[in-house]
Amino acid sequence: MPNHPKWQMLVMLFSCVIFISGCVERKQLEKLGLSTAVGYDLEKENHIRGTVVVHKFDPLAKNMTRIITSVANTSNTLRQKQNLETDQELVSGQLRCVIYSKELAERGIIQLADALNRDPTIGNTVYLTVTDTKASSIIKMEKENLKVDLGTYLYNLIKQNVENEQLLSPTLHEFNHAYDDHGKDPVLPILKLKKGNVILSGMALFQDDRAVAELKGDKLFYLKILSDKFKSGTHEIGFKRSRFKRIIRNEQGHRFRTVYNEFYINIDNIRSNTKIKLVDKKNLHFKVEIKLESRLLEATEILDLSTPANIKFIEKIVNKEMEKEIKNLLIFFQENRVDPVGFGNKYIANNRGKMLSKKEWRDKYKDATFEVHVNNTIIKTGVTD
Amino acid sequence: MKVDLHPKESLLFNAFLLVFIIHSVQVGVGIIGLPRIVFLNAKHDAWIAVFLAGVFTAVILWFMIMMLKQYDSADLYGIHADVFGKWLGNFLSFVYMLYLTACFSVIILNYIEIVQVWIFPNLPTWQLALVLILLAVYAVHGGIRVIVGVSFLSATGTLWLLLVLCIPLRYTDITHMFPIMNVDIKHMIKGIKSVTLSILGFELLMFVYPFVKEKRRALFYVQLGNLFTTLAFTLITLISIVFFAEDTLSKVIWPVISMLKIVRLPNLERFEFLAVSFWMLVILPNICLYLWAASKGFSRIIKRTQKMGIWIIAMIAFGASFFIKARYQMNFFTDMISKAGFYAAYCYPVILSIIVYLKKWLSRRKQSHAEPS
Repeated sequence: MPNHPKWQMLVMLFSCVIFISGCVERKQLEKLGLSTAVGYDLEKENHIRGTVVVHKFDPLAKNMTRIITSVANTSNTLRQKQNLETDQELVSGQLRCVIYSKELAERGIIQLADALNRDPTIGNTVYLTVTDTKASSIIKMEKENLKVDLGTYLYNLIKQNVENEQLLSPTLHEFNHAYDDHGKDPVLPILKLKKGNVILSGMALFQDDRAVAELKGDKLFYLKILSDKFKSGTHEIGFKRSRFKRIIRNEQGHRFRTVYNEFYINIDNIRSNTKIKLVDKKNLHFKVEIKLESRLLEATEILDLSTPANIKFIEKIVNKEMEKEIKNLLIFFQENRVDPVGFGNKYIANNRGKMLSKKEWRDKYKDATFEVHVNNTIIKTGVTD
Repeated sequence: MKVDLHPKESLLFNAFLLVFIIHSVQVGVGIIGLPRIVFLNAKHDAWIAVFLAGVFTAVILWFMIMMLKQYDSADLYGIHADVFGKWLGNFLSFVYMLYLTACFSVIILNYIEIVQVWIFPNLPTWQLALVLILLAVYAVHGGIRVIVGVSFLSATGTLWLLLVLCIPLRYTDITHMFPIMNVDIKHMIKGIKSVTLSILGFELLMFVYPFVKEKRRALFYVQLGNLFTTLAFTLITLISIVFFAEDTLSKVIWPVISMLKIVRLPNLERFEFLAVSFWMLVILPNICLYLWAASKGFSRIIKRTQKMGIWIIAMIAFGASFFIKARYQMNFFTDMISKAGFYAAYCYPVILSIIVYLKKWLSRRKQSHAEPS
C-alpha cells in the first residue's frame, strides 16, 4: 500500500534523514592536520609564540610530522596563523601534550589553560607540562631517533612514568581541579633537553597558576606519598654507615671491601596509605600518618636480616629518616606558600560555616604546623634472608 | 465533554510500564546541567537537595494519584471540565496545553544546543529540530502504546550510561563532600527548587492515567519509577561534586558531559560524542509524551482530531527554533519554563486535588442528605 499515510510518512522521514545528514560538516582525515603537541613561549610583552607539531595522514609523504610556529596574542589566533602555513586544516582533537615555557609559567598560564577548557574538541586528558628552556626548542629537537611524532612521544613518556608511579598525573583535568580547589595547588612536570632527547627532570610547584618552585629527584617520592597512594613504588635512602654498624654482617674469612663510604638502602613494592588529620582546628595542627608496606631488596652492605629484631631496627631508622624528609618537604612547601598536598581541602572539609577563599587559606597556611608519623613495615626481604 | 475517558481495551498498557514512563520522562536534558544548577544554590550539599526534591516529588505523585482515583478513568482535561465547568475548565486546559507545548520545544532546543556546542558547531538549529520533531510526530502518530514502547526502550537502553560514571569516580576528591549539611535552610530550599526542571515530566501521569490497565497498582509503580530517578540523580550529583573542584562546577554548563570527557576507550578517544548522540534516545520519550499529551487536548477540548493537533504543535515548536540563538536567550527561556513547571507540576496538582476532594466530599454529603428525605 504505497499510498497509505504511514508509508508517506516513512518515505518523508527517510528522505529527511538522508538529505539532512549531507548538510553536516565533513572532515576527511586526509585533509586534516592533527596537532599533537603545542608549545607556548612568551615572545615579548603581550605576545606569545606558539609552536605546534602537526601529524599528517598522507600516504605519499615521507615526513609525517611538520612543525609550524607563529606569534599572536591569543591561542586561537595562533591556530589561525598556523593554518595559513599549511595545506591541511589544523584540528586539535588529537592534542596530547601542551608545553609552557618557564617564563610563561612564572607569569601565569590560566588564560591558556582556560582556552583549552572552553574548547569542546580538546580532551580532558591532555597532559600539561612546563619546560625550563623554550617550549619551541623542545618541539624542534632532533627527530631522527624518534619513531613516532613528538606529541605521542611526550604522551607516552609521561604516561609511562605516571603508571610507574614516578610522577603525579598532570592531565588538564587534574590541573583544573587543583587550580579551582580553594585548598590545593597544581603541580606539573618539567621537561628538559638532554643530549637531543626530551626527559622529565622534576615537578614544578604552582601557586595558583604561577610556577614558583621546583621539586627534584627524591622529593617527588615524598610528594607522591603525601598526595596519592603507592601501589608499587621504589625508593632509596642514604645513611651514615655508623648507624647500621650493629647489623652489618661480618663476613668471616672474606675480605670485604666496599665502594661506598655511605650506606644506602633500597626498598621497593611500596604500598602506601596516607591519612591527614586536622588535630587542632584553632592552631591549624595537622597530623600526617603514613603507613607503608615494602620489600627490602638492595642494600649496599650485606645485612643480617635473620632476626626480627634486626628488621625492626631497620624499620625504625627508615621511619625516622622518612619523617625527617617529609617534615622538611612540608616546610619547603610552606616557605614557598604552595599547597600541592591539599591540606586546605582537609581544613575546609572540617570547618563549618562560610567557605574559605583561596587567599584566606594561603594566609592561614603559613601558620600551620605538622606532625609526621611514618610506619614502615618491611614485609619481605627477597629470596634470601 | 465527557469527564471520563474510556479507551479501547487494546489501547491500554500494563501498570508496571509506568515505572519506565515516569523514569524516562523525568530523565531528560535537565540532568546534564542539574549538578551545577543545584550546586550554585546548595553548594556541596547539592546531592541532599536533589534527594529531598525526589522525596518531595513522591509526595506530589501521591496527591496526583489520590486525585485521579476520585474518578473512574479521567485525565486532567476531564477533571478540569468537571471541576471548573466548560469555560474556565477549558481555559485552564488550554493554558496547560501551552505549557506542555513549551516544554516540548524547550527540550528539543536544549538538546540541539548541546549538540551544537559539543559536536557540530555550525549546524543550524532548524535542521536538527526538523528531524527531532518529525521523529516525535511519527512516534505519536502510532498512539500511546508506541510511546510507551519508546520509553521502555529508552529507559532500559540507556541504563548502562550510569555504569560509565564509575570511570570519573577514579578522579575524585572525597573531601569536597564535607562538612555535610553545611548550607542553611534558605539555600537548601532554593537548591530543591532548582531541581524542578530536571525532575519535571511526572505531571504527564495525569494524562496517561486513563490508559493504565490495573489502576489500583498505579501508585506503587509510579513511586518506584520516581525512586529510581531520585537515586540516579542523587548519584550523578554526588559524583559531580567529588569529581569537580568547587570553582569548576560553578562554571561548567553541562557537568555530566564534561565529566564523561575523562572516559577514554581504546578505539574511541572521546566518549562524550557517544554520550551526546545517545542522549537523543533519552529525550525521545520526553518529547513524544509531551507532544502526545498536548495534542490530546485537541481531541478533548476543541473536538478536532488529535492528528491535527500534532501537526499544529509541531509547527509551533519548529517556528520557535528560529528565534533562539544565543546562550543567554536559551537560559532565559529555560528558566521561564522551569518556573512555569514548578507551578504547573508541583503546586497546581496539589491545589487541584484538594479542590477535587472537597467537591467529591460535598457532593457525597449532599447525596447522603438528600437520600433520607
